[in-house]
Amino acid sequence: MRRVSIVQGENAIVAEPGVVVSTLLGSCVAACLYDPVAKVGGMNHFLLGEPGADQRVSAGDMQRYGVHAMELLINGLMARGAMRTRLKAHLYGGGNIVSGLGGIGTANAAFARRFMADEGIEVAHTDLGGTSARKVEFLPHEGKSRCTKVADRVPDRPPVPVNLPPAGGDLELF
Amino acid sequence: MPAAAAIKVMVVDDQTSMRAMIRRALQDLGFKDVRDKPSAPEALAAVKADRVHLIISDYNMPEMDGLQFLEAVRTDAVIGKTVFIMLTGSSDKEIVQKAAALGVNNYVVKPFAPAALKEKIERVFGELT
Repeated sequence: MRRVSIVQGENAIVAEPGVVVSTLLGSCVAACLYDPVAKVGGMNHFLLGEPGADQRVSAGDMQRYGVHAMELLINGLMARGAMRTRLKAHLYGGGNIVSGLGGIGTANAAFARRFMADEGIEVAHTDLGGTSARKVEFLPHEGKSRCTKVADRVPDRPPVPVNLPPAGGDLELF
Repeated sequence: MPAAAAIKVMVVDDQTSMRAMIRRALQDLGFKDVRDKPSAPEALAAVKADRVHLIISDYNMPEMDGLQFLEAVRTDAVIGKTVFIMLTGSSDKEIVQKAAALGVNNYVVKPFAPAALKEKIERVFGELT
């Protein structure tokens, strides 16, 4: 079994069986999307939902936003044979881990739910909100995921410039 | 200098959230007449029925992609000269070259800030008021 780890701003798309995509989440959200017919799926990891109406952001900043991360993931899945109408989602993260962040986790979770509703993507499973950090593992080909709450606080990494794609991240073996 | 409020815009993207974000950015820039469609065939029919000055279209769409849409616009006798700005991903250089050959007016690489969109529109229309 292969393992692909992703961090904030990245995504991984997998069509092969037995590949685990994993990430660690605090207030960020990871959307695991898969097409059960095409047997392709992927995960992203985003810091923020979408910029506010009066917010001025740079192109670099935009890479942190879910609205962009979701498009990259969906386009990548469709390029590998997925159909938007068949996509199912598992949503994780959006915890309010660090006090003083103004409920950023809650806002991220709300964005993820709203995005799926707006785009007509069926949400098969969610584990959003709360105050725990999470480790998420996703088998995209199989459409299976699991989430482990992390007892100790795992803060989101600070924003880093990300060159997207390629999909995926560091490759490790179990 | 053209008034943004006088320019009719059609935004085409298969992602609802992206259309909403572009629409909001355009409205912030002073555009008043912003329509949107989730697919190129729907947008093509709409702009043929009620012409616009500017089409902002994503490239990556099922059914009819941005290049096919651009070609359909450019080969139409009535709407052929409509200003067309394409939204592409960062790795789509080949697509930009093809779009240029088909007569695209400009392109914007996603993700983009509203200021970048404004700059690309102004390169075609001149400074907006």
